[in-house]
Parts: sequence; structure tokens; C-alpha cells
Amino acid sequence: MFRIKLGRIALGLATAVLAVGTAHADTELAFYHYQTGKSYEVFRGILNEFETANPGIKVRDIFAQSEQITGEVQAALAAGRPVDIATVIGKNIVFFLNNTGAVDMVAASKGDTAWLDGYLPNFLDLGRVGDAVYAIPHAYGTPMLYYNKDIFTQAGLDPNSPPKTWEEFVADGKTITEKTGLPGGAHLAAAMGDYGTMVMVNNAGATYLNATGTKAEFDSPQGIAALQTWQDMATSGMMPIAGDTDWTAAFNAGQMGMYITSSAALRGTVAAADGKFALGVANYPLFGDHPRHVSNSGAALMLYAPEGERRDAAMKLLRFISQKEVANRWSRESGYMPLIQDPLSDPAMAAYVKDFPYVQPVIDQMADTIPTNVWPAKGTLEAQTVIRAMLDELWAGQRPAAEIVPEAVAKVNAALAANN
Amino acid sequence: MVDTALADAKAPVATGTKLQNLNARMTSTSWVPWLYLAPTLILLGVFTYWPLIQTAYLSLVEWNLNPGQTADFVGLSNYGRVAGGTLFQSAFVNTLIYIAASIPLKVLLPIPVAMFLWSLGGKGHFYRAILFLPTLISFVVVGVAFMWILNPILGYAKQYAAMIGIHMPNLLASPGSAIWVIIGISSWKVLGFNVLLYLAGLASINRDYIEAMRMDGAGDGTIFFRLIWPLLTPTLMFVLISTVIFTMQQVFTPIDLMTQGGPSNSTTNLFYMVYQYSFVTFDVGGGAAGTMMLFAFLMLMVFIQLRVLDKRVQYKQ
Repeated sequence: MFRIKLGRIALGLATAVLAVGTAHADTELAFYHYQTGKSYEVFRGILNEFETANPGIKVRDIFAQSEQITGEVQAALAAGRPVDIATVIGKNIVFFLNNTGAVDMVAASKGDTAWLDGYLPNFLDLGRVGDAVYAIPHAYGTPMLYYNKDIFTQAGLDPNSPPKTWEEFVADGKTITEKTGLPGGAHLAAAMGDYGTMVMVNNAGATYLNATGTKAEFDSPQGIAALQTWQDMATSGMMPIAGDTDWTAAFNAGQMGMYITSSAALRGTVAAADGKFALGVANYPLFGDHPRHVSNSGAALMLYAPEGERRDAAMKLLRFISQKEVANRWSRESGYMPLIQDPLSDPAMAAYVKDFPYVQPVIDQMADTIPTNVWPAKGTLEAQTVIRAMLDELWAGQRPAAEIVPEAVAKVNAALAANN
Repeated sequence: MVDTALADAKAPVATGTKLQNLNARMTSTSWVPWLYLAPTLILLGVFTYWPLIQTAYLSLVEWNLNPGQTADFVGLSNYGRVAGGTLFQSAFVNTLIYIAASIPLKVLLPIPVAMFLWSLGGKGHFYRAILFLPTLISFVVVGVAFMWILNPILGYAKQYAAMIGIHMPNLLASPGSAIWVIIGISSWKVLGFNVLLYLAGLASINRDYIEAMRMDGAGDGTIFFRLIWPLLTPTLMFVLISTVIFTMQQVFTPIDLMTQGGPSNSTTNLFYMVYQYSFVTFDVGGGAAGTMMLFAFLMLMVFIQLRVLDKRVQYKQ
């Protein structure tokens, strides 16, 4: 009798412990990101909302600097630490596809892929492999023309008529330098990242890299013409030979007429110009009669959650942040590019654009965005240093682009040959 | 007979005791030093030699650390790929320039400075503090400060040069001058620390020897070359070896902040190249091969220094 009682008590206790344990067993997701400051507050706020809507799921956000995020995620995956959703810089996506166990989000959707339909199709192309989608847009930017209206006025240019083509950009830049003595304008280079070269070449109608990223093709007439323009900017004196940091500082200090850089800098530039100079923002200049093609900058989200509870929870989160209202709010409050089709059909977004008209050219440019070119694993460093050295030589102006660019492309292709 | 029997009986006992004592001594003397060394050996093994072996392994395989993929043995192809590139060639030449420039600027220049401060005695503390101050400032802060000074559009250097009618060239944009800016910044930052090391070396010299030489009519030059220089050679040896080894690390932050190895690869070095392979383009095999080549290069440099210079070092006063 005593034995039976003891057995029942033990069973009851075990059941109670199990029940309590089950009730508190949250699924925890590890989300790697590089958001800081205001962007982090917005990001965390959205995650908190998701947690409230899904009581059994907790999201642990793990921060790494944007320059280190790829290495951090790679290290975590290599060490077997949990990674469920990772922010991956666009140009590294192919590397991650080839070298990590990224999950196809279409397959993970188990037939219900409607949540992906909201994204602009060209934004999804970066992570698309056939019918599979391995990355969705998250913190995208697009290159914009920022200009100082006061300097335009000083130089006798119309402050409400920013240059629409590269021809006009160079002409206005030279006028500014001649009339005011200030640098006329510059185009971001993005240092080792070679993003600036990619944008300039693609926009001129040339092909920067082939689809697999294993062959450079920008020694075409259009590519050479685009890079000759960059050389002319340097040799004419309108663009001081410097780097992105120097150009940004000069523009924000009201000491440079125009600067082409990412829309991710929009809020910072507006804040810097406040009370100092009248800022204008316009679309990326067209090259001749070619339609505008601008590569996106920034990062996408990749899925790594293992099958089971964590995969299901991660998919819930991805669906949550892909809702039009949430995605638009993320864009509005963080300053990143809108990601969802027809953003102005959202009344909150329309009101935002009305209050903050600087963002209108960014929205206009969404349809012109093409996926950033991605590099393979081998030879990338060699190739990128060749491109960087090519820019240095172009700006030095000792030889024309027609001589420098084909040599550089041959060197890039020799470096990338290890991937063929 | 009895004595003999006793002696025979005692002999093995005596031999056995001796052996036991010897064994006991051997055992105690053989493992006790290892016990003292164990913490260092374990730390060195875990954090230095094991990673080195792992790096050597990674340099011979094609694998990007993905647990789901197999590591394919590729022999020396990662070495060939890295060493055959123009980046490696530039990085190697620049490494030699950084080292060659560091000897006069970081190893020799601090000696007269330290001598001057030493001659001031207690009054030299103020100058010592001023000279040591740059050592305390983070390389990141130094890099950012010099970027502002040398900014080709708004920089202080440009503004002040313009005030006296000089056109300030963009030093960081020219392949000929950028490396010297990096060398200058790292030398300025390290100078105070090396001066301090030499001051410690000078402090160990007995001033009575100097007085004795003066009484014998020796001049400053004779005192320096016959007495101070030989007695300073152990410090010089330490400063030389540590400068050669660490100079590439010292220029890493200014390179990353100010030039990213450019223009035209003119400021990169082997250390920065390895970082780029490993953490910018995530080419683990290339990064590991570069690391092993860098390791071999530094070993060779230290070996040469020890073979050539160590014989000339005066360790006894």
C-alpha cells in the first residue's frame, strides 16, 4: 500500500515537473545582424512584436560590425554554434551558398510561398538559384546623387535642376570647381569592396562580372567609356583623389558640390546638412541613352535553422518581417530602401514620403535596381586588389582607360581562373 | 665466512637502496620542472602550437571550415596560388620596406633620444612622459586623427600649408608617399616605448665606469662606443627582434583605416594580406598558406638576427 502511494506521488511529481518544463520551453532563435543605434531600436522593436505575437518563441539578436558580420556568421557555423537567421552582405551570398548549409526558403515554406510575393522580384534575384530562394532582401541601399544647392547657386547653376546624365554631372562638376574653387563632385569607390566600379560599369550597359562571378567582362566599349568618365573627373580637378571617408566628410561639411553614394547615407546626410546648406537628392545619373541599372548595396537574410521547431519558428519570423506594413515600417524608421512592391500604396509610407521627400528618388529607383555582383571564393582578393589598383592608375591619369582597363580585366580573369 | 656471507647479503640491499634513491631523485627531478612549466606549456600548446598545426593543415586543403563539407587535400596549390599573385609580390616587397625602415626609425633613432633623456637625469621625466604619450593612444585614434590631418580636401595639413603658400600634395593617394606616411605614423607611436626600453638598459649601466673613463681622459665618443654601446647591446637585441616581429602588426591598423593596402598595393604587407584573404574574402586556404609563409619569413628573420647579432651582444658588465 505504502509502495503504491509512493509510486503515485513520484509519478505525480514527475508529471508536474514535466508539465512546468514544457510550459516554459521556449524555442530560441539566433539572429545575426549588424544594426546599431536607431536602426537597432527599430529592429529589436519588430522582434519584440514578433515575440509578443508568438509567446513560445524568443529571438536572441547577435550583433557584429557590418565589416565583420560575414566572418562572425562563418565562424559560428564552423563552430557549430546556433545560427538560425543570418544577415549576409550581398556580395558574399554566393560564397555562403557554396560553403555553408543555407536553407532554400521556398522548400522551407512547404508550398505556402505567398509571403515571398510581396518583395520586388528584382530584389529577390540576388538570392535566387533556379526556383530556390536562399536570401531575402533586408538592409538594401541604392546609389543616389546628393548635391549642395547652395554651391550650385554660387556656381551659377540651377539648384533645382540636378544633372540627369553623366555628361551633365561632369560638366556641372567642372563648372563648380572653376567658379567656386571647391571640388565639383565624386563617386563612391567603396575601397576594396569595388562596389563603385561595379555600379558605374553596370549602369553604362556593360557587364561587370558574368553570372557565376568567375569572369570579368567590363573591358567592353561601354565599360571603358564609363571608367574613362571617372578618369576625366579626376584629371579635370573636379574630383580630388581621395577615399569615401574624405569625400563624405567634405560633402557633409558643405565643401563639395555633388557626391554619389548609397541611400543608406540619406538620413546621416540630411542631418549633416541641417542648418549648414540646402541639400538636394536625385537619381543616379544615366549613361548616354542606357536605361538606369544600379546594383544594390547592403545585406540580405539567409536561413540556417535546422529542421524542426527552430526551422518552423524561423519561418514564422521571416513571414512576420516580410509583411508589407512591417517591412515598410522597417524601411521608414531605419532609413534602408523599401523592399516591398508598390510601397506608396501603404498610407503610412505615402505620408512618410510627403514629410520626408528626399526619399522619393530612392523609391523611384527601386525598379532600376539590379542584384549586386557576387564574387566566388578563390582569387577574389587578387581580383579586387587589381580593380582597386586600376582605379588608382585611372585617377593618376598617366594612360587612358582604353589601355588600363583591358589589362586590369586580363589580370582579374587570371586571378579568377582558379574557379573554372 | 660469516663476514663474507653478510657482505654478500648486504651488497644487493645497498645497491637496491641506491637504485631506489636514484630513481626517487630521478623521478622527483624529472617531473617537478615539468610541473612548473606545465601552465606555460599548456597555454603555448593550446593557443600557439595547436593553432599553428591547424593552420598548416588548412593551408594544404581546400575547405572553408564548413562542417558539412569534406576537406580536399590540394598539396601546395594554395601556396602557389597566393605566392603567384601580384598582391603577394607587392606585400612581400612592402614587408621588407617596412622592416628596413623600422630599423633606423624604431630601433636606432630612440637610442640618441634615450641618451639625451638619460643625461638629464631626474629632469628628463617630463620629456619622457611626453615621448611616451603616443604609445598610450590607440592606433585607431591615431589613424583617424592623421586621416583628418591629411584629408586632401579639408585637412589641417592642407589648410596650414596653404597659409604659407605651399600646395599640400595628397600623400595617401600617391603610391610613392603613402607607405612613408604609414611608416612615419607607426614610428612616431612606437618611438616613446623603445626609448623607455633603452632607458631601462642605460639605467643598468654603472655610472662609476663612466667616471673612471673620464678620469682616464676618455671623451664622450669613446665612452659611448667603448662602454655604453656594448652594454646596451642586450637591449638593442631585444628591441631589434621585437620591432621586426611586431612592426607588421603595428602598421596593420593604420593600413586598414587609411589605405586598405592601396594605392596600387603600395602600403599592404604580408600581415594585412593574410587578414584580407582570411576575413575579407574568406579564402581560408589562401589565408592559411599566407600565414605559414609569413611565419617562415619571420622565423628566418629572427634566425638571421640571432646568428649574426647575438655573438656581438655583451651580456656581462
